[in-house]
Amino acid sequence: MGLSLTNVWKTYGEGPTAVHALAGIDTEIASGEFTVILGPSGSGKTTLLNLIGGIDEATSGDLIVEDVKLIDMTADERTSFRRSAVGFVFQFFNLIPTLTAAENVELVANLTMHDGADRANEVLDQVGLGDRLNHFPSMLSGGEQQRVAIARALAKSPPILLCDEPTGELDFETGRLILALLRRVNREQGQTVLLVTHNAAIGEMADRVLRMRSGRIVEDRRNPQPVAATELTW
Amino acid sequence: MSPLRHKLLRDIRAQRAQFLAVIVTIFLGVTIFAASYDSYQNLTASYETTATEFRFANLTVAGGDVEGFATLAAAEPGVESVELRTVADVPIQVGGLKLLGRVVGLPTGAQPSVNQVRVTEGTYLAASAPDLVLVEEHMADHFQLTPGDSFEILAPAGWVTVETGGVASSPEYIWPARDRQGLLTSPDNFGVAFVPESLAREIAGTDGSNEATVYFVNGAENEDLADLLLSKAAAGGATVSFTRADQPSNTALSEDLKGFEELAVFFPFLFLTAAALATYVMISRLVHAQRPYIGVMLANGFTRRQILTHYLGYGVLPGLAGALPGALAGVLLARVITGLYTSMLSIPVTLVQFYPATLIAGVAFGLVTSVLAAIAPALLASRSAPAEAMRGNVPVGGGRPSIPERIVPPLRRLPIPWRMAMRGIERNPRRTAFTVLGVVLSLTLVLVSWGMLDTIVRLMDRQFVEIQQEDATVYFTGPVESADVTGLQSVPGVAVAEPVLQIPAVLTAGGRYETTLVTYQTGTTMHRFFGEDGRERPLPTDGILLGQALRELLRIEEGGTVTLSAAGTAVDVRVAGFIDEPIGTMAYASRDYLEELTGLELPATAALIRYSEGSDLDSVRAVLVEQESVAAFEDANALYDTAQEYMIFFYVFVGVMLVFGGAMAFALIFSAMSVNIAERTREVATLLAVGTERRQISRMITAENMTVALIGVPLGLGAGYLAAKQAMASFESDLFAFDLYIRPSTLVVSALAILVVALLSQWPGLRAIGRLDIAKIVKERSM
Repeated sequence: MGLSLTNVWKTYGEGPTAVHALAGIDTEIASGEFTVILGPSGSGKTTLLNLIGGIDEATSGDLIVEDVKLIDMTADERTSFRRSAVGFVFQFFNLIPTLTAAENVELVANLTMHDGADRANEVLDQVGLGDRLNHFPSMLSGGEQQRVAIARALAKSPPILLCDEPTGELDFETGRLILALLRRVNREQGQTVLLVTHNAAIGEMADRVLRMRSGRIVEDRRNPQPVAATELTW
Repeated sequence: MSPLRHKLLRDIRAQRAQFLAVIVTIFLGVTIFAASYDSYQNLTASYETTATEFRFANLTVAGGDVEGFATLAAAEPGVESVELRTVADVPIQVGGLKLLGRVVGLPTGAQPSVNQVRVTEGTYLAASAPDLVLVEEHMADHFQLTPGDSFEILAPAGWVTVETGGVASSPEYIWPARDRQGLLTSPDNFGVAFVPESLAREIAGTDGSNEATVYFVNGAENEDLADLLLSKAAAGGATVSFTRADQPSNTALSEDLKGFEELAVFFPFLFLTAAALATYVMISRLVHAQRPYIGVMLANGFTRRQILTHYLGYGVLPGLAGALPGALAGVLLARVITGLYTSMLSIPVTLVQFYPATLIAGVAFGLVTSVLAAIAPALLASRSAPAEAMRGNVPVGGGRPSIPERIVPPLRRLPIPWRMAMRGIERNPRRTAFTVLGVVLSLTLVLVSWGMLDTIVRLMDRQFVEIQQEDATVYFTGPVESADVTGLQSVPGVAVAEPVLQIPAVLTAGGRYETTLVTYQTGTTMHRFFGEDGRERPLPTDGILLGQALRELLRIEEGGTVTLSAAGTAVDVRVAGFIDEPIGTMAYASRDYLEELTGLELPATAALIRYSEGSDLDSVRAVLVEQESVAAFEDANALYDTAQEYMIFFYVFVGVMLVFGGAMAFALIFSAMSVNIAERTREVATLLAVGTERRQISRMITAENMTVALIGVPLGLGAGYLAAKQAMASFESDLFAFDLYIRPSTLVVSALAILVVALLSQWPGLRAIGRLDIAKIVKERSM
């Protein structure tokens, strides 16, 4: 279980104009690990997350996520993989504005269960939005919207949570609360969390930090004593 | 080329499908405008030139003291020429057929000063060849008569054989109508021969002329002069008098011209409105999506005017791209239409001209349409606050339960995709309204065209199947005796025969109206009379029935009295009621009643017959025509068949309009739906990212789009019905009552067709879902 990447390449274009977004990634991430992927813009961190999440395809290499080999999958197979294996949290929340918080979560919960309404209420309660079930996104603050997005990602109980700059649109305090929530979910539910950010300070809360540059992992370190998210500063 | 212009062209290229849809809609609208308006102008010019060149009478007067009238008219200033002639409706025998034709007397050696003819084959009448006649073109075509062929005309002394000396067309018979009340004729039933005046008198059995034709100076219309002469004609005992406008052929052509005029306004209006909607929706979306760039441009010093001009360009370019070729195509198409039309009708002079104004107006209409549509979004772009625009995150429309959910709270328990569809409709009310309007416009276009067809089919059926019950009219060589009529019944295949009297009549009350008086025997089974309430009523024995248009024209009500002048006498008669007939405005009376009222014996002019069921119509006709006493035979079915032949043009017209309507619906709905899908690209990408299947998303979007289209359907059916009613009303006159009739199946098929178009039009957008770059889109800031 967990993730295994062997010599994974992602190349855009061909010949002399080819751009290697990922240039031979080799790594393994264990189940339940909270990993922060750091790096400047264009380092390939989001591309890596997208390949793991099955919303993009690697050009070559082996990519095994939760015992599922993602290379050479059809579009339908990738959809099925995403449905069962991963939950996404995006920078811009990406909530459906015409659905309430509960409905946004239920919509995704219904993908894996018959009636996702109870599950939606349960996960929204977990992220502290039990009293905001019937609020539409436009009625919620940025932090609340991101919590709904996390609840949505958790609704299917996926083994892996992929978070792409989840605090990028939030103020400092709210950002820390969201990170704390993600860490709590990781600890309580044992989900593998991969969090992409350019904010090096966030690496302090992770079990493991992967630093990327020019499509390669240039640093892979473990934090023996991860800092609580609420104590982070940047 | 400036970078902004590059941007404009590249943006258009990037959204070429949507822009193409707009361009096509503008092209169609402008093409229809230019084609129909130029056809209208060409035909009007052709008629006018024909009228001038052939000195088409401004006024025609028949009956009474025509010679005295001619003297009076010639003395009036403004009158250029007056011509006296003899006209007679007489049986003609040609090609084994006997039909009720007409002979028109012409001077020999030289054309008359009024109502000249154009000899298309052979030579004009000569004094040296008194038996040579000119055959009117329609009759010549139908019976394939060429110079040297002979046929017979019934004169008082018996059948006279005449020889075709030539073929002629005349401004009086461009549309070969017998009279104003009989615009629909069949060449099997009516033909015209121009004969030397002396022969015409011989055939008519008169010593002098019976008709005067008047030509005003330069042929120009002069209403005051016409009114003055009409009153003089009435004082002289004229039984028939009409101006050029009311001349039967001219009346029919004017009705047709009205159709072109209507086409030139109504249909382009629909198309250009549709194009404006599509343009607006498209440019609004573009401005919305480009807000950050607009902010950057403004922040970098671009003026608001530059931004305004730039975004107006998104309207100007498709406007020009659609309007320029549209106007050119329309102008060229008008030439083809005019040529086909004038050759089909044998209009003596065909004028195909280039009207720069049409070209300019067409381009202007197309351009103005798209620029007007672009103004609002372009202004919005130019008025953006740079800092806010650069942030790009325009507040997303506040979510809330849909109206149905608010009204019926249990709907909130519907599956989420259903709720999404319902709320999506209210999410961008303006775009929803435009999509609905697109469906409404498309249905209107289809229903106006199809409604026209249904109405005319219904009108034909009502007149020829429900109202007129005779299969044929038989005219005799001498006065019609009861024995003649009874004798017809003994002919195998004839079930019923009844005498009928049809004569020109003038009705006078609060107004004056020239029509045909038709008298049947009491209890006739040859004609059914339907009141204005739609109920059938018998032929009254204590008054006359009038066509409903006469209520207004004569300013008379049921129970009132009108003066009936016919057969050389005038009597006051009671109006027993008004009847609803789609073709013509006649007066109907019982022969017994009229004879009693006038104290005159009113002999029948013909016999109406109805065939026995299962009889061979051709052989019955052959037997009847062979009888010596039978002078002419008018097949009621031939009229119906001729009318049906003309319907082919309607079918083509409706077919073209259905294709155009479909294209317009596709363009409009495609634009709206493309924007609809484009606006929620990020939602779709998110749903795909979390594992929702593409077909599930397609179903959700389809549900929303089709719900919007469904909302438009009843509105479109209503608007289409009203527009069709209005369109048909514009063709209405005392001669035609176009009560709109649309078959229920037409409504159903139209609605289904538009829904299918709506379904198909979202196909490209839905296909695009499969090509979405999920990874890229989920990363983008909300637009």
